[in-house]
Amino acid sequence: MKKQHIKDMIFRIAPIVGLLILFALFMVFAVIKDINIPYSMKNILNQSVIVIVVATGAIFIYTLGSFDISLGANMCVSALIGAMAYNRTGSVLVMLGACVLCAVLISLVCSVLASVFHLPVFVTTIAMLSLLNAGVLMLIGANGTGDIVQVPADAVSAINTVEFKLLVLCLYLAVCIFVFNFLKLGREEKFVGGNPECARLTGLNNSRLAILAFIMAGIGVGLGSFLTITYAPTLSRNTASSVGMDVIISIVFGGMPVSGGARSKIYSAVVGALSMTLLSQIMLMLNLNSGISQMVKAIIFILVVYISMSDNKKNNLPR
Amino acid sequence: MSKGKRLAGTLAIPVIACIVTNVICLAKGVPMFETGLNWLTFVRAIANVSLVTYALSINLNSGRFDFSVGSIALLASVLSASISVKYGLHPAVMLVLSLLFGLILGFISGLIYITVKLPPMIVSLGVALLYEGIAYTLTGGHGVSFVNNKELLGFASVPNYLLIIVIALVCVVVIFDHTTFGYDYKALISGQRVAVNTGINEKKNALICYTIAGGLMGVQGFISATTTGSIQMALNFGSIAPMFMAFLPMFIGGYIGRYSNDKLGYLLGAVSMAFVSMLYVRLMVNSSVQQVVSALLLVGFLIFLNNEGRIKGLLHPKHEN
Repeated sequence: MKKQHIKDMIFRIAPIVGLLILFALFMVFAVIKDINIPYSMKNILNQSVIVIVVATGAIFIYTLGSFDISLGANMCVSALIGAMAYNRTGSVLVMLGACVLCAVLISLVCSVLASVFHLPVFVTTIAMLSLLNAGVLMLIGANGTGDIVQVPADAVSAINTVEFKLLVLCLYLAVCIFVFNFLKLGREEKFVGGNPECARLTGLNNSRLAILAFIMAGIGVGLGSFLTITYAPTLSRNTASSVGMDVIISIVFGGMPVSGGARSKIYSAVVGALSMTLLSQIMLMLNLNSGISQMVKAIIFILVVYISMSDNKKNNLPR
Repeated sequence: MSKGKRLAGTLAIPVIACIVTNVICLAKGVPMFETGLNWLTFVRAIANVSLVTYALSINLNSGRFDFSVGSIALLASVLSASISVKYGLHPAVMLVLSLLFGLILGFISGLIYITVKLPPMIVSLGVALLYEGIAYTLTGGHGVSFVNNKELLGFASVPNYLLIIVIALVCVVVIFDHTTFGYDYKALISGQRVAVNTGINEKKNALICYTIAGGLMGVQGFISATTTGSIQMALNFGSIAPMFMAFLPMFIGGYIGRYSNDKLGYLLGAVSMAFVSMLYVRLMVNSSVQQVVSALLLVGFLIFLNNEGRIKGLLHPKHEN
């Protein structure tokens, strides 16, 4: 019994151990290659903070055993709307509001559509991805200069600091941790993710929970799009294009089961996103080309997930 | 179910797609099929979409979501095109090489899945990253180009594409509907635990599924490569895009499958989508409108599928006595 408990704990902390090992490796290579460590750390935070914010919100969707592939496209549309709002009003606060409101609205449409018409959530998000990509082209075409929509760099330079980004991240993370770990919503979501039928029979409203999960994720996407504008105020159709998949990879890398349920952890996004960014930085320090760097990333990704999920193996193949 | 009803159910969607798109084209004064190139585009779209749909549905029907199908097409075509260009091979040989590489890559993907026993979605994410990385490294990030190789580009013809479409359909129908493997596959779909308890080797079955899906994507990669004469590299999941074109045909195929055969349904779904694609091409519809229309078609059809009972109830209300 005690042995099993220790084994469970080892598997549970495997992603965190992975992160610590990556950090140690990063420090070793940084010292060997005489790299400016504070500057590199700043870079790592800059690169990972957006993914962490979006992925933390997305955990609410993943906990239900659902999956949203349109997060990146949602972020791009929200960032464009936010930039347009700034260009009309000159107010950063209005830009923030527009980003969050737009992202939440898009998430709401997606979840309500799936709930009202009984559509599979994942397929609804695929259709939404297509619609949002078209929306990006239309918004840029109607409001952009050439292929871009721009916010003056001066307007956001004051908030383009690691301190500000960390503040936004910490505030949102605190809210998410509170909702996920200390409110009924988090417990109910884990229940639905673990056994939707049982949850329904005990009286839980799965549609309501799905809508709330998408709202939480929408807030994360909105904040992510706001931070994207502060980091890169020139927006194009490729803005946040890789965020959707980065979020999936980070969440899984951080030890979150894709099937959701009771084993879901809110900190998975932080651990996963930081690990992936550290890994990329180490590859850069080793001067590996993009192809080899991606191959190494893929192998490490499968290995870490394999180890962290080793205690959950069944006889039949997982689906 | 009567034969007439079966026939009507099977052909309804492609016939409606054909009529609607042709009427729109004619209303705009543009005939849908004016030149041989239009036919070539139409048949190529059917070949591309049907192959991806078969490949995706093989695993998705078993609850295995596979993000790596696009990366298999990419890497298989990179390998076969590089060899064919280097040794001046005939397009038929390149096709066979693409198929073989696709089979091998699909087999490796399946082998990783049954070995690590992780959810297929996670495995496919890792495999997609891996194959994209290999393709990028092999070509130095420059891709493969053979735009001046007339022999390889000469493969693009209506009879060749038709041959591929027919062979692919016959193969998937025979393999999945008329072999022991196919019966086991269906048993595993309807009840995984029961099927395994009765002695069906699930691992072997899954491995064969991944291998077949890989082979189909290898051929799709060949068609894409010989269309333009160049293969662009993709990193960070840039290769997953082809997967999205398969969803609507797959749902259409599932619907048609109620009246006839689901594989035939996938093909007819691809035919329906090819009509829509031709409409875009002939009317020069811009890409954002294309994406909106495609998304609305997908959502609309899904709403119909998931609310069929309610819709029928509204159309034919039962009178209570």
